[in-house]
Amino acid sequence: MPTLRVNGERREADDGARNLLSYLRFDLGLTGTKYACGEGLCGACTVLVDGQALRSCMTSVGAVAGGDVTTIEGLAPEAASMGELHPVQRAFVEEGAMQCGYCIPGFVMSTVGLLAREPHPTRGQVQEALAEHICRCGTYVRILRAVERAAGGATPGSTP
Amino acid sequence: MSAEGAGLDVFGDVTFGIPDRLRASYRTTTYFNTAPDEPMQRWLTVRPDGRVLAFAGKVEYGQGVRSGFAMEVAEELRLGLDSVEVTLGDTELVPWDLGTFGSGSTAYVGLQLRRAAATARAALLDLAADRLDLPASELGLAGGRVVAARDPARSLGYGELVADAYRRAEIPEGEVDLTSPGEFSVLGTERGRVDAMDRVTGAAVYSRDVLLPGLLHAAVLRPPSLGAELADVDARVAEQLPGIVRVVHEPAGPGRPALAAILAESDEQALRAASVVQARWEERSGQPSRWDVPRILLDSARDAMVMQESGDVEEGLGTSARTLEASYYAPYISIAPMEPRAATARWEDERLTVWAGTQRPFGIRSELAAHFEMPEARVRVIAPEIGGGFGGKSIYPLALEAARLARAAGRPVRVAFDRQEETQHSTFRPAALVSIRSGVDAEGCLVAWEYEAIHAGERALIGRRGSESPYAATHLRTVVSSADSPLPVGSYRSLGAAVNHFARESHVDEIAAAAGADPVEWRRRHLGEPRYHGVLDEAVRRFGWRSAAPGSGARDGRGVGVAVGIDVGSYVALCVAVEGGGQEVHVARVSAAIDCGLAVNPDGVVNQIEGGILQGLGGTLTEAIEFEGGVVLNPGFARYRVPRIHNTPRVDVGVVGDPLVRSTGAGELGIVPIAAAVANAVYDATGQRIRELPLQRQLQPAG
Ligand code: FES
Ligand code: FES
Repeated sequence: MPTLRVNGERREADDGARNLLSYLRFDLGLTGTKYACGEGLCGACTVLVDGQALRSCMTSVGAVAGGDVTTIEGLAPEAASMGELHPVQRAFVEEGAMQCGYCIPGFVMSTVGLLAREPHPTRGQVQEALAEHICRCGTYVRILRAVERAAGGATPGSTP
Repeated sequence: MSAEGAGLDVFGDVTFGIPDRLRASYRTTTYFNTAPDEPMQRWLTVRPDGRVLAFAGKVEYGQGVRSGFAMEVAEELRLGLDSVEVTLGDTELVPWDLGTFGSGSTAYVGLQLRRAAATARAALLDLAADRLDLPASELGLAGGRVVAARDPARSLGYGELVADAYRRAEIPEGEVDLTSPGEFSVLGTERGRVDAMDRVTGAAVYSRDVLLPGLLHAAVLRPPSLGAELADVDARVAEQLPGIVRVVHEPAGPGRPALAAILAESDEQALRAASVVQARWEERSGQPSRWDVPRILLDSARDAMVMQESGDVEEGLGTSARTLEASYYAPYISIAPMEPRAATARWEDERLTVWAGTQRPFGIRSELAAHFEMPEARVRVIAPEIGGGFGGKSIYPLALEAARLARAAGRPVRVAFDRQEETQHSTFRPAALVSIRSGVDAEGCLVAWEYEAIHAGERALIGRRGSESPYAATHLRTVVSSADSPLPVGSYRSLGAAVNHFARESHVDEIAAAAGADPVEWRRRHLGEPRYHGVLDEAVRRFGWRSAAPGSGARDGRGVGVAVGIDVGSYVALCVAVEGGGQEVHVARVSAAIDCGLAVNPDGVVNQIEGGILQGLGGTLTEAIEFEGGVVLNPGFARYRVPRIHNTPRVDVGVVGDPLVRSTGAGELGIVPIAAAVANAVYDATGQRIRELPLQRQLQPAG
């Protein structure tokens, strides 16, 4: 039986072939990670595995066995106010970067992964890192601003 | 009634703002299949602990209604936003509602909540006047307390005022004393979304996230092509697989479609079993493909509705100095919300609860009650957060499927579309063909305008929306027809307005080009309504528009375009700049201006406009449904190309409405003029006039 850590907790999965997204959502009840395409084309299901952004819909529990999985719930688990959020989450709130919000956990996770390896990304690097994500509500203008803010690069209201 | 048995409830008419002519349609059509059982219902509660609860039948699918409603209530009760809790879309708790479509209706519900809050304010002042033995005129409200104006030490909290007994107030039928715009401290100010935290922490619950104890996952057998009928199911192998709890097969009956599904303990077990079921389908033969659509529209056009008529178009064309004639085409496009539909149903003691991310919770309740022949009071529909709707989630067959399966299984059941199902078994924005003939005099002034649109499908209102021309002309005729539709059609952001605007605003650009006129100037000369001028002036100012006739520039791969529009009583103008030649066009910059009357939450309006523009770029440049034989050939994001983050232009939006004018919708305005503005800019850049969407497919290679 594969074991892994999810948001810091050690977990044992029954079935290594289990789809990672289904495992997180249905078996662990971590529904903040979303399904939107199931084909690796939209980024809604993005989680971090050992700090790297990964499409959970495209992989199995067995494939990440031994790894450290972080979901959107694990970024700032105790946060009760804005100040306690992860800086990337806070930047999305401050820039109003959301409409329905369904795509947002995925964007946030990819951004966390990006900033971990590239603390001061260029606009091009941001677009590349988020190119595989879709927001159907079309909030890209604000998402770009939020990522820039999280990277310490922008002031409120600056237009991309 | 409040749980504590004390507190203040404010009741009011649930049909507030719905025109009488629409009330006549209650219970008659898909969108009006419901009616209020009780005209006076609860809109607002002040609890003994001082919290204020607001209730509305609208749902939140990204338009920010929860925040807008909280602001309306907070304003009238002089409260901080975090003291107001808004409950939406739960048929057991909120006032009856037709559904969240047509942004105008949301504005009315917001207004009714404001009236409810003002009613509560008056009641609280009365109570305090009694207790403090002061005339109400000497009392003020601040921070959730009624305060004596002369002696601020004397004050009573809202909670204290209502803690002693249960009270009920009613929103008066006529005028309610509302806060005037000059005194606003909340409305019209920049506020973040009240539900933003939940959306970045993953705590927000969408319909796909409703997981109940004992839940079964369903894999429903879906028809392989449109209209296919299930003839036979052999699930003997599937039944033996691990985790399978039941195979349900309910044949079709009167008013009831067939339903066959595998129910399993896990989602993957259900899917695996479904993949080995032997199902025989009787498919409809001879279904048309996408190439047949223009011909079908022309051949089957009917129910022509004259939307505008004055003068005599033939005579006008005859006396014109120059005439133009052109046709415009838009294919079917998919709504493709990020969250594919899902529903979870539970039966308990002959009571049914269904969680479904629908825009019509009360309509779905009526459908369920009718199907199971039970009173609506025993059916509860809860619309949780919705991951994008754009009009498409008014139709929600999964609610009934989940309810039927849960009944059969005796356990809660979850039915969820995957991406392919969401596209294939959904409705589409109808394909449309528009033919325009126009004539101008020697000065390029419009003399004659004839507009004939055919929109696929029976839903005539879709095609009529936004078809009327705002441009002055002596001879004018606008006609909109319905036609057969090979694909099911339904609502999508602005209905047919975006397509009608694509045709009209493109054609106007062609007129200006032929007359050698600047397209902004040409519009100014022909637009009467001052609100059009207001948005056009603002967009042009923001953009830094330089006067020139379309296509008169150097055509070095850069071009600019303009378009104006109206939808649900709001006005919009866009200026865009495009770059790049050949088959790739990049929209580099968009300046927009909007007038939606009082902008309750200006940042929310800007967010909606940006979103509409970005989403609209998909239908403008790349989106088109391909189908053949009743099958959608591009149901996934691999071949249905939607805008991505690297397609994002610089967008700036100005909000210019008069706060004394009633709020009208903003959610649909961004998408309305974008296709024409881009097509016009592409012409300016390349000299190619593209009259068919999506533009990218029609672009000639550079050279
Ligand atoms: S759901 Fe995994 S990439 Fe879309
Ligand atoms: S906010 Fe709705 S899909 Fe991105």
